[in-house]
Amino acid sequence: MAGPEDACGPVRFEEVEHTADRALRIYGTTWEGFLVNAAHGLNSILAPSPSRVAGPVAKEVDLEAIDRESLLVAWLSELAYWAEVESLVFDRFDFIDLTPEKVRASIRGGVAERLGRNVKAVTYHGLAIIETSSGFSATVVFDV
Amino acid sequence: MIRPRDFTRIDDFLYELPAGFRPGMRVPARFYADEALMEGLAGDRSLEQLANTATLPGVVGYALAMPDIHQGYGFPIGGVVATALPDGVISPGGVGYDINCGVRLLASRLEREAIDPHLESLASALFANCPSGVGRGGEVKLKSRELDEILEGGARWALKRGMADPEDLERTEEGGCLEGADAAKVGARARDRGQGQVGTLGAGNHFIEIDVVERLLDPDAARAIGLFPGQVVVQIHCGSRGLGHQVCTDYVQLYQKAVRRYGLELPDRELVCAPLSSPEGRDYLAAMKAAANYAFANRQVLAFHIRRSFEQVLAGKVRHFNLYQVYDIAHNMAKVETHTVGGRSMPLCVHRKGATRAFGPGAEELPEAYRGVGQPVLVPGSMGTASWILAGTEVSMARTFGSTCHGAGRTMSRHHAKKSVQGHGLRRELEERGIRVRAGSLSGLAEEAPAAYKDVDRVVAVVHGAGIARKVARLEPLAVIKG
Repeated sequence: MAGPEDACGPVRFEEVEHTADRALRIYGTTWEGFLVNAAHGLNSILAPSPSRVAGPVAKEVDLEAIDRESLLVAWLSELAYWAEVESLVFDRFDFIDLTPEKVRASIRGGVAERLGRNVKAVTYHGLAIIETSSGFSATVVFDV
Repeated sequence: MIRPRDFTRIDDFLYELPAGFRPGMRVPARFYADEALMEGLAGDRSLEQLANTATLPGVVGYALAMPDIHQGYGFPIGGVVATALPDGVISPGGVGYDINCGVRLLASRLEREAIDPHLESLASALFANCPSGVGRGGEVKLKSRELDEILEGGARWALKRGMADPEDLERTEEGGCLEGADAAKVGARARDRGQGQVGTLGAGNHFIEIDVVERLLDPDAARAIGLFPGQVVVQIHCGSRGLGHQVCTDYVQLYQKAVRRYGLELPDRELVCAPLSSPEGRDYLAAMKAAANYAFANRQVLAFHIRRSFEQVLAGKVRHFNLYQVYDIAHNMAKVETHTVGGRSMPLCVHRKGATRAFGPGAEELPEAYRGVGQPVLVPGSMGTASWILAGTEVSMARTFGSTCHGAGRTMSRHHAKKSVQGHGLRRELEERGIRVRAGSLSGLAEEAPAAYKDVDRVVAVVHGAGIARKVARLEPLAVIKG
């Protein structure tokens, strides 16, 4: 279930078995790439077979958190929120300010004709972002 | 990883992991199961999650798991944990994202034969009138003040709007309204998500089902509850929708800081919690109650749509098609209740995540009609399989903080289910068995295939055998409506 190759490495995310919900292993060679890949991973759950997207629609994101894990949860929760309330799916991310505890970005996407599912929430279950010389990785469990 | 063999068998239906098994456990962990259900957990992390809940500050008695336990996030689904007031903790993850997800049972006075010719039309009317599926909003668009009324008044709001009978509220846990809810503790995003979703089913494992009472196991209790063999009944399974999900998300995020402030060490960040006596603890409890009230109102509006559907299809063709409420019960909730621990009666915060309250006979919280037999416990099976009506017992009061199982419990991941089951084939298979299916998504249907769940009859046999609920009636499905 690997994603297509991109600038952030050969595998952007992959599905991991979880009994009741959905889990993704996310990778990124940089912190920015990791957050982008996490967003694409979320999109793969929200809209598995991309439906026509009307747009473009842009939103500004401004989040602060206590650490990388909290920022990742806040980032994905932000995207899941827009998917639920306005059926928005984002695929362009311009980061204006990014640290391990802060993200300010302009995100662009469109209204999905049909979402495959709701993501009720992004959980912290077993969440630990591993940082190595080759980049970042973490497994995120989504409540669906 | 904690394995089944790490547990000691206490009796036919109870296993225990001692408190000393792992550092940090404050109480033993207990799991109600038979041998096969216990062995079935060898491959996942449910038991480890159960042991994790035994580390929560203020936990008393045992960290408990019901036989329908399966792997969740933080808490296992099927977990029950009680913490002592005032300084024990409350954990949003111990309630889950779908706050007050629960089941409502409506009963008719009709026998199956009376509706058989109309079953197709009934299934279609329910699917048309009860908004379901991803992204579907409801008919009711709430103004901000109305949303406040729901958050603080629950199903009473629906009564005022002519969408409930007074008896519905009497036969709902807490009368359909948790006192102490505070709309001001619910954030703006949660309100946004809730504004257009009241009276909607959603997707996932939520459903409306027309069932027939296949047999009675306790005729006296069944009579008190108003059930008879061959009777047509309707189940609703859903919760607080996006509003509840966002309340939990907001407080889990907020509590990441709170655990640092209170110096709480936890084995999993999804278990974040705060003392009940703290401002954070009080705020979450008030917000959770508000979300729970939203869920009571949501199921009430769905009940209204279901009654309307029965009228649309059956009026003029069948007499006595009215539906009356048997009960409405939560299975994701934290509540302050009084229980006896070590011979002492004390107020506790009982977290039930994928577990149902099961108060025994005599409990003053029950409607008068049920006080003699114990609280009706509604246990939906997986799609296309049986469901059960149970009753709470004295044993559940003594051993499980008045709690029992909530369903069948998954054994197969959604991902795997979708790979191994075809939605089309499953629909055909159900229809060949005479079960009408209306579903918004075939892949969603595949995820909920019966093969992805435990055998609900086995789960119920365990809680009955252990005495933490007793069998009253078994239901068989006639029509399933899913998002």
